[in-house]
Amino acid sequence: MALIEVKNLEKIYGGDGAETPALRGLDFSVEKAEFVAVMGPSGCGKSTLLHVLGFLDRHTRGTYLFDGKSMDQYSDDELAKVRNKKMGFVFQMFNLLPRTSVLENVKLPLVYSDVKESLWNDIAMKAVAEVGLEHRADHETTKLSGGEKQRVAIARALVNNPQIVFADEPTGNLDSKSGGQIMELIDGLHEKGCTIILVTHETYTAEYAERIIRLKDGLIESDMRVTARHHGGDKFIK
Amino acid sequence: MTTKYIIKTAFAGLRNNKSRAALTILGIVIGVTSIMLIMSLGKGAQDLILNQVQSIGAKTIVVHPGRQPKSLMDSAQMMNADSLRQRDLDELRKTTNAPHIAKVEPLNVGGATAIYENETYSVTILGGGEYLQDIYDIRLQEGRFVNLDDIQSHADVAVIGSKVKEELFGANDAVGQKIRMKDRNYRVIGILQKKGQSFISFDEAAIMPYTTAQTYIFGIKYFHHLIVEADSEENIDATIKDIEITLRNSHDITDPTKDDFWIVTQQTAIDQVKTITNVLTSFLIAVAAISLIVGGVGIMNIMLVSVTERTREIGLRKAVGATNSDIMSQFLMEAVFLTGLGGIIGIILGASLSLLAALILSKVVGLDWIFTFPISAMLLGIGVSAGVGFVFGLYPARQAAKKSPIEALRYE
Repeated sequence: MALIEVKNLEKIYGGDGAETPALRGLDFSVEKAEFVAVMGPSGCGKSTLLHVLGFLDRHTRGTYLFDGKSMDQYSDDELAKVRNKKMGFVFQMFNLLPRTSVLENVKLPLVYSDVKESLWNDIAMKAVAEVGLEHRADHETTKLSGGEKQRVAIARALVNNPQIVFADEPTGNLDSKSGGQIMELIDGLHEKGCTIILVTHETYTAEYAERIIRLKDGLIESDMRVTARHHGGDKFIK
Repeated sequence: MTTKYIIKTAFAGLRNNKSRAALTILGIVIGVTSIMLIMSLGKGAQDLILNQVQSIGAKTIVVHPGRQPKSLMDSAQMMNADSLRQRDLDELRKTTNAPHIAKVEPLNVGGATAIYENETYSVTILGGGEYLQDIYDIRLQEGRFVNLDDIQSHADVAVIGSKVKEELFGANDAVGQKIRMKDRNYRVIGILQKKGQSFISFDEAAIMPYTTAQTYIFGIKYFHHLIVEADSEENIDATIKDIEITLRNSHDITDPTKDDFWIVTQQTAIDQVKTITNVLTSFLIAVAAISLIVGGVGIMNIMLVSVTERTREIGLRKAVGATNSDIMSQFLMEAVFLTGLGGIIGIILGASLSLLAALILSKVVGLDWIFTFPISAMLLGIGVSAGVGFVFGLYPARQAAKKSPIEALRYE
């Protein structure tokens, strides 16, 4: 069974005559442990798609099955639970809590989970170590570099052992070196069996994916498997 | 989300915005401080007056002429009520009428300027008789008290209070000297011991035979009060009954609602004082409570700003699994924490200021003021301030909880 299955998925913003369609009927599915990149020009609806798939926003029409269950069947609180237990998010703007330590940031999803408070520190520390920031665990996030900030965000995304990680332009605010490191970390998550949905407009990040869905004007323009996968920084697909 | 985490986050939120938090809770601090101050001072004032009322004595009954005052207008009329006269005094002194009355003495009260040589002093004239000394436990420092002979002969004599003696005579002998009041000379026959604060300020009084006071000072034929002492506390109620029956007979009154006298005991005076001071205190608290509401609006305002500022944080928290109620409790807790802190500071400030006021009132002003800080005030302070935080935090917290994660994450 596919982890994600969408049929005729539509998302229309606004209403009362000023309706702006962002997604105009998408059909596709994503298997467990798949690494999918969503690409396309700005305004094509790729971020909207990620938000809907990540249970952050509800679609307007069509069906969306996550893990076999339709999104319509979830209440807002249940959506929050699923986001907490099964999903991880990495955003372009990092979205870390200001004036808060790295460890506290990584802990955040645990706060809203059923995990006992006494375990929070150890679990969060492990995640911080996975992104190689254990020496900065007590630092305030405002004092970190962009690349480090995004590593904290990745640690936060993986702290609850999610089935799927949604990454929205995770390298968009980073130089290519840091961006490469971030992509390595995301790829590492994929290697461990985590499903990855990556929204990007940069080809060099998309090349980590096994499959690239291209959107244009709210519709799928192409959906292709990447046959020749490349690893490392210097063999970008052009 | 655990309560511990909510509290920790609320605390961190305050710590990150120290000066803003301080300014925000200022209104609450001022409100709670003033309520604490009013409650403490109100209680202190009540105790002070009650102490003075206690000095009336538990066995003492005061009969006033006229109708019992129910309003300010009544009180003004009471001054002229002339229903208590010599005949009433005579009737009450008959043991057949009131067997439990130990002593009855009339009392006329007024003011006059006393002059001795070049010194003048404004004194309280107390026209009374020999029993006053027992009823009010008056002690003499020198000389003698007013006696029956003085009363019968309208003697031009006066017993003066310690303050009067000091002001008019200084260190010189006063007994035997003549002081002038209302164009007439009175021989000083005794000096009272210093008594301090009490229901009647004996230190500033000149006690005279009531007959003399009636004739030469006030020019009246009635009494301002009749002071009755029962033989025991147990017989107070019986004595009140006896007085009522005797006076109604004496005044030909059959309908008790038409009584032209009214009776005050220590207990009724205590009740009255309590009623008056409680009403006053509640009124002042109500006024101070307005500042709490203003403070609450300030909290709401700042919380709304904070919610807008932290839209991104709210979005993120929601994205990683916070439910609406998680966000709601976080912001509500912050508001309650903020006002609760204001409440605690207000209580400490209020207690310190009332202690300072008590010190000034007792040491500088010289009142027998005792510092009291009711526990009820403290609980009220904490409860009310936390309540204000809850009520005024509710709206901003709801606004925060209502934010959709995506709107919140997009917010720049």
